[in-house]
Amino acid sequence: MTGMTARGEALRTQEMTINMGPQHPSTHGVLRVILTTDGEVVTRAVPDVGYLHRGLEKIGERVTYAQFMPFTDRLDYLAAMNCNCAWAWAVEKLAKIEVPERAEFLRVIVAELNRISSHLIAFGSFTADMGAFTPFLYAIRERERVNDLFEMICGNRLTYNYARIGGVSGDAPPGFLEKTKEFLDYFEPKIDEYNNLISYNKIFVHRLANVAVIPAEEAVAYGMTGPNLRGSGVPFDLRRDEPYSVYPKFDFKVCVGTGERGKLGDCFDRYMVRINEMRESVKIVRQALAQIPEGPVMAKVPRVFKPPAGETYFRSECPRGETGIYVVSDGSANPFRLKIRTGSFVTMNIFEKVTKGLMIADIVAVIGSFDIILPEIDR
Amino acid sequence: MEALARSLVNFVPVLGGVPLWTITLLVMVASAAVVLVFALTFEGVGSLVLRKVAGDIQARIGPNRVGPNGMLQFLADGVKLVLKEDIIPARADRLLFRLAPYFVFVGSFAAFVVVPFGVGLIAADLNIGIYYVMAVTSLVVVGILLAGWSSNNKWALLGGMRAAAQIVSYEIPVGMALIPAVLVAGSLSLQAIVKSQGGLFGIFGWNLFHDPFAFFSFLLYFTAAQAETNQTPFDLPEAESELVSGYNVEYSGIRFGLFFLAEFGDMFIVAALATACFLGGWNVPFVSVAALPPVWGNLLSLGVFLGKAFTMVLIMMWVRWTLPRLRVDQLMRMSWKYMVPLTFVNLLGVSLWLLLFHGKGIPQMIASLFG
Amino acid sequence: MGLKEYLNDIMEAVVTTVKGMRITAAYGVDPKEEVTLQYPEERWEVPERFRGFLHNDIKVCTSCTMCVKVCPVDCISLEAVRGADKKMVLAFYDINIGRCMYCGLCVEACPVKSLKHTGGYERASVDRGELILHFVHEDAAEIKARVARQVAEAAAKAAEAQAASRAAEAPAAAKSPEAPPADPKAAKGEHRE
Repeated sequence: MTGMTARGEALRTQEMTINMGPQHPSTHGVLRVILTTDGEVVTRAVPDVGYLHRGLEKIGERVTYAQFMPFTDRLDYLAAMNCNCAWAWAVEKLAKIEVPERAEFLRVIVAELNRISSHLIAFGSFTADMGAFTPFLYAIRERERVNDLFEMICGNRLTYNYARIGGVSGDAPPGFLEKTKEFLDYFEPKIDEYNNLISYNKIFVHRLANVAVIPAEEAVAYGMTGPNLRGSGVPFDLRRDEPYSVYPKFDFKVCVGTGERGKLGDCFDRYMVRINEMRESVKIVRQALAQIPEGPVMAKVPRVFKPPAGETYFRSECPRGETGIYVVSDGSANPFRLKIRTGSFVTMNIFEKVTKGLMIADIVAVIGSFDIILPEIDR
Repeated sequence: MEALARSLVNFVPVLGGVPLWTITLLVMVASAAVVLVFALTFEGVGSLVLRKVAGDIQARIGPNRVGPNGMLQFLADGVKLVLKEDIIPARADRLLFRLAPYFVFVGSFAAFVVVPFGVGLIAADLNIGIYYVMAVTSLVVVGILLAGWSSNNKWALLGGMRAAAQIVSYEIPVGMALIPAVLVAGSLSLQAIVKSQGGLFGIFGWNLFHDPFAFFSFLLYFTAAQAETNQTPFDLPEAESELVSGYNVEYSGIRFGLFFLAEFGDMFIVAALATACFLGGWNVPFVSVAALPPVWGNLLSLGVFLGKAFTMVLIMMWVRWTLPRLRVDQLMRMSWKYMVPLTFVNLLGVSLWLLLFHGKGIPQMIASLFG
Repeated sequence: MGLKEYLNDIMEAVVTTVKGMRITAAYGVDPKEEVTLQYPEERWEVPERFRGFLHNDIKVCTSCTMCVKVCPVDCISLEAVRGADKKMVLAFYDINIGRCMYCGLCVEACPVKSLKHTGGYERASVDRGELILHFVHEDAAEIKARVARQVAEAAAKAAEAQAASRAAEAPAAAKSPEAPPADPKAAKGEHRE
């Protein structure tokens, strides 16, 4: 970018380096993005992660299998149920434990409810990032109801610690299933309200359409998963394509981006995938409520739990993509090695590539549309 | 002012010995003080109402701890702002940093001078009223740019740059959208514009109903003015989710308070101009204010004017809590590709209408049909 | 961009804005939509399973240290001495609720259900020391001394009784009575920070 001064000298402009974060309202936590900008246009945006590193994987090697459960709450605090269940499923796969069916149903119910509440936060904080604060509070309001349900079943509102190796910590208390149904009836019409309020708002659409387009093959190449991958039009959902738990019993649609307001794989597609997935989750929970069998909720697991030596990799569909748990056992009470693959972290790979040439306001939109969460990135 | 001073001398003979210029000056100071007090009160109450409206819209309650039902929250806020430490960043340009809030505040406050609050309630009935408002509110851009530049903060600088581009771009559609009212009244004076809308029961004389073009220019003005005064959805200079807080990110204490007050002042000015130019100003429906005793006439017209203006402010708040924010290039595109051409077309339409129908609006034509 | 698209654009902007504003207005005028709980005055009903502060009923507690073992963050510390009646007597039982993450694993592990979650959740403090809940209100040293005394007394009594019975049964027996261990062997689970 050069111009001429009045005296005919070449005018030199300088690129500006801005630190976005780690303390910034729209980076969804302590993400630091080093922006090199030419005015408002970002020429380079390098994410700098690691401000929230707590060494969860190392902690996992120091505590027993059962003791690690509360730590998975901290893996993705907006979808702690999903992480709980992922850890339980992984260890059960490692130790080949049969889980009672009722427990699996309860897990699926809470996991899908948590997917709804997590997508609500994704939707709400995204709209707040775009400058509309009201939908955020509506989303929080609905999420509170989910939290009420979770508090009822497990006793906590954020760090649920509900799943156990071999089952769940407690059967659904009386009234829980009915209240869940009530919530679904209340919640389903709200999705249309969100769409009317903001999703198809002209300004909102313009902010998102054609921003940070990720073609399908690129999304696959970069290892994106979950709604971000589906936003690029790849119909890949572990719940359907690599079914685990009781998911095969349910009929649901895998929502993919359609490019309805711009190019396929833009921010708007990723956003809409989440909105539509909330509907699908409602559908799954409804089916689960209808089919849930009676029975115990905990398998027989020895108090001092020592899985046989071996290793396993289990992946499950979390709201922010695939959460893969690789756990190696040496036959002792603690995992020998634990590695967690999270959706948000892998998604950050493509961040630098897609943000080239966007504006600062778009960076916020990209972060929001990826729906990253920092404890998942840094673990 | 001098006339007012003269009448005051006539009214209170004791003042006869004092030179007239002294009294004029005193009257000026007094009326400025009255306007300032009004502006500050409005800004305080406005901030409270804004938060209450936000609460209502967002399914919550809003401030309700200070005073009955939170009514005194704005006092608490004001006291807090005054008492807070005034921090100047280490490497800021201290002079400009201190100066910037005054520019912004003065730019917004000076516009109150020509707002026609009632039949006789106007601090200064300038014959170039609208022009004056446009001119002094442009001062705000200088202040914001100074604030952004002097803070030695890149976010603030970006905010300042955005503000400059935005305010300069939107001044054109704002001006162009106000001109239809000027054309109808044949005067730039706000008082004259209000008076010109007095006919037909005080409702149908409004410029809003004058002709379709005038109606559209009201909408255009309202939109463009929100952008010019950095209200959501055009609050890019502040954009708390992108630029953290934009140009005022480094400000604290009363200096921040001045920015804050100016924001609400701007809000009122926009509403007041919309009221005066399109919604009949202080004209009371079905009542001839001029026929009433001056005190009652003034009070009634003041009430009506404030009622209309506050309704406009409420609508602005309502918009604010509904819409997301535009991106800076979209904002520019909206100005140059949509607002500017549309306002020009509108202006052309109004001019043609006035030419073809000899200055008569639709309601007048209907009224003349019925005799 | 044709004129039609241009006008459509404007129309769409207006229509979607009005649509959104209708929804916000509906909430704005409906006073029943307010969902805020006025916290200090109003409180929500704490559900039965609520995982609040921990409470240990030391009368029931057997000092088995299951809770200490299962706690992932080592926030429970206890020390117990074996009393005269062979039961463990708690010298201290502390829970650092500043460290506790309310996961509830200890409550599940407790075999006698003496450890429970209460519904309590308010304990802001400016002093971290206040965040350590003590469930044994006597001084640990005093308890230990007392128990040691009791044990010694019991041992002396037992010895006496034994001696008496032996004297009664077989006065010739010269073997001295073996006292039970006066010193508490089992000082388990010392996790004081």
